[in-house]
Amino acid sequence: MSTDKDRTNRFNELAEVYSADLYRYAMWICGNDALAKDLVQETFLRAWRALDSLNEMTAAKSWLITILRREYARTFERKVPLFTDIDKVSIADDEELEPDELKERDLLREGILKLEPKYRDPLLLQAIFGHSCAEISEQLGITRSAVMTQLFRAREKLKAQLQKSGVKGNVHELF
Amino acid sequence: MNFSEFKKLMGADPLNRDPETLRARQSSPEFEAAAAEAEAFETKLQSALHMRVPADLLEQIKGISGEPVRKRNWIPLALAASFLIVVGAAGIVWKQTHQWDSVESYVAEHYSHDGSKAVGMAGVNMPAQDVARILNRLDATADQQLSGLIRFIKFCPTPNGRGAHMVVSTDQGLMTIIYMPKTQVVDGEMVDFDQMHALLVNLDHGSAAIIGTQSQTVKTMVATLRGSLKTGLVDA
Repeated sequence: MSTDKDRTNRFNELAEVYSADLYRYAMWICGNDALAKDLVQETFLRAWRALDSLNEMTAAKSWLITILRREYARTFERKVPLFTDIDKVSIADDEELEPDELKERDLLREGILKLEPKYRDPLLLQAIFGHSCAEISEQLGITRSAVMTQLFRAREKLKAQLQKSGVKGNVHELF
Repeated sequence: MNFSEFKKLMGADPLNRDPETLRARQSSPEFEAAAAEAEAFETKLQSALHMRVPADLLEQIKGISGEPVRKRNWIPLALAASFLIVVGAAGIVWKQTHQWDSVESYVAEHYSHDGSKAVGMAGVNMPAQDVARILNRLDATADQQLSGLIRFIKFCPTPNGRGAHMVVSTDQGLMTIIYMPKTQVVDGEMVDFDQMHALLVNLDHGSAAIIGTQSQTVKTMVATLRGSLKTGLVDA
């Protein structure tokens, strides 16, 4: 039986490993810094209370994402988030990017925010958490082939957004 | 796998490294170029998705582990059920809510746990929206005067649910305030511990412990706290 210290250590390990990615994920789904922090804190508060039900640490990532998504669904019923804060928490290495790269990055961000949730959700799970298509399928409750299609279309839309704005870069001509 | 299938796979899962995909990739320069372009786009996507994480987020989350948890353990539950028959529900309620011997022991134990660390983390200023966000969750709000003094804030456990642990800047140096939304104290009582002292004060709703070193006069914060921290907003 785990002691309180073991429990706390286990919780702290989860926080250290997953809090940053959960915050980024929360920011991309709600677009609001304060709400994203709230979502992540509520997620971990619920995780702390239910930690004994997590049998395998290997399942922790999906478990935390599920808690966060449910909490977001509940929050979204209460208030409509403001999609305004992404630039306030922009990457710290702006100064290392060339003007063209900055423009391209900003266009991509704009494109990600504009994606419909059915395209954005699988893309975020894959790109932020490194989920496989099978894991995304399980997380979102859709078939693996639907996941593949939505991921492909999500990237296609982002590439189209870049092309439309005149950014060519490495965008494949056939996309 | 033909080229069209390969492109779709790269578009859906550009970092795919299964043997069939690798074989297809190496089968011709055209496949290799498509894979390389998909990877290049993925690098840009990762850069666009990346963002700074608030410096205090991890510490605030770790603070959650101080929250009391009711563990589901069937043996004590069975015993409690028997006990319920004998002595009634009142004893059970007391047992589940009683985490510390007294508010005084809570204040001393809680400050010893992470009080110094919180003081160490106190920065130049705390974004007003972070202060508002935490206090609002506790049905409280700080006016501009108090908000401007707060250098660190996080949720913390209290004898009766969640509260706020704040570090404030005063002309005597940093002091700590623990806001306990659902706890009443003996107003004006002083608690001495570990070369620190705390003054317990009741507020409109709930109470607070103002904690400082023995050389600090903590009662100077009472008027500011009572005037600036509006509590019990839901009931108002």
